[in-house]
Amino acid sequence: MDASAAKLLGAGLSMGLGAIGPGVGLGILIGKALEGIARQPEVSGDIRTNMFIGIGVTEAVALYAFVVALILIFVAK
Amino acid sequence: MLKRVPRWAKLIGVIVVLVGLALIPGRAKQQLEVAKEFELTPIVKLPHVGPVDLSINKAVVYLWIATAVITVAALVINRTLKSRPGRFQLAMEGLYELARNGIVGSVMKSGADTWFPYIGAAFVFVLVSNVIGLVPLPFAEHNQLGFYAATANLYVTLTLALFTFAFTHYAGIKKNGPVHYFKNWMPKGAPPVLREFIFVIHGVSEIFRLVSLSVRLFANMVAGHAILAVFFAMALIFQSYLAAAILQGGSAMIYLFEIFVAVIQAFIFAILSAVYIGGALEQEH
Repeated sequence: MDASAAKLLGAGLSMGLGAIGPGVGLGILIGKALEGIARQPEVSGDIRTNMFIGIGVTEAVALYAFVVALILIFVAK
Repeated sequence: MLKRVPRWAKLIGVIVVLVGLALIPGRAKQQLEVAKEFELTPIVKLPHVGPVDLSINKAVVYLWIATAVITVAALVINRTLKSRPGRFQLAMEGLYELARNGIVGSVMKSGADTWFPYIGAAFVFVLVSNVIGLVPLPFAEHNQLGFYAATANLYVTLTLALFTFAFTHYAGIKKNGPVHYFKNWMPKGAPPVLREFIFVIHGVSEIFRLVSLSVRLFANMVAGHAILAVFFAMALIFQSYLAAAILQGGSAMIYLFEIFVAVIQAFIFAILSAVYIGGALEQEH
């Protein structure tokens, strides 16, 4: 396997494996938020705002994997 | 009129159309380079000033368009305010209401009035540039119609995130004083060596906020546009009208999803900016 193939393989693996954790986390997060909204519809506005903050923070983990993938493709030699 | 046609007739009609499309021979093979959609080639060449290239490219034009749209909308709404709002005024009031109460009001405890102008402006700017990215404009190769968004460019999103980064620390230092502000990065009860360690970790996390804030917006816009481009490219590669029809249906679905993503990403950018600035203002004592 030459270096460029390994680079592309590593980029794909880093993005794919790095998306597993945030995917599970987002599922749990949004599921719990919906549970809360179903239980107490009167505070749905607050729950939704906090859910988006949580989504932003959880997504960041996947974004680090994305950055690593980009670095592997475009920067690494 | 369509209601009288029985369901089986409609089904047969769809099948006949699909078979007909499959029988038509495809056109000559064409290529669409997906990565080329994001390349920035200068439209108007201008000289370098030091290390800075002043050439006008696609991203600059899209930024100008977003600015022009916001300016015109603001001027129009300013001149035509009525006590009985029309449709346009209702939409603008809804946008303002969302930014004021939904984003700033619900996240920031103090300083909401001071920082609403920045966060509201960032929200509207990101929203408009995201949505303009979904309008086909003639700035692709050879002046063809194409999709591009100013926010599908890391330099633009990084600049926006740098504004939030700078304002966060400016707000924190101005409110609490520099000594107090940086002291609050260390927890009070921790033992001596651990405290400095936590200080360094906190500093690193501040830098990574900058990275995640900019890359989130950039990655979401690039991914959406890349998927649309891949669907178009696949239709060209398969060389069959059947595949093209199905793929165009799929890309229409993705287009609708991209409208949702454009709004959500603007919302998340603004709300995280509000959280960061609010967090710098509210220090535990």
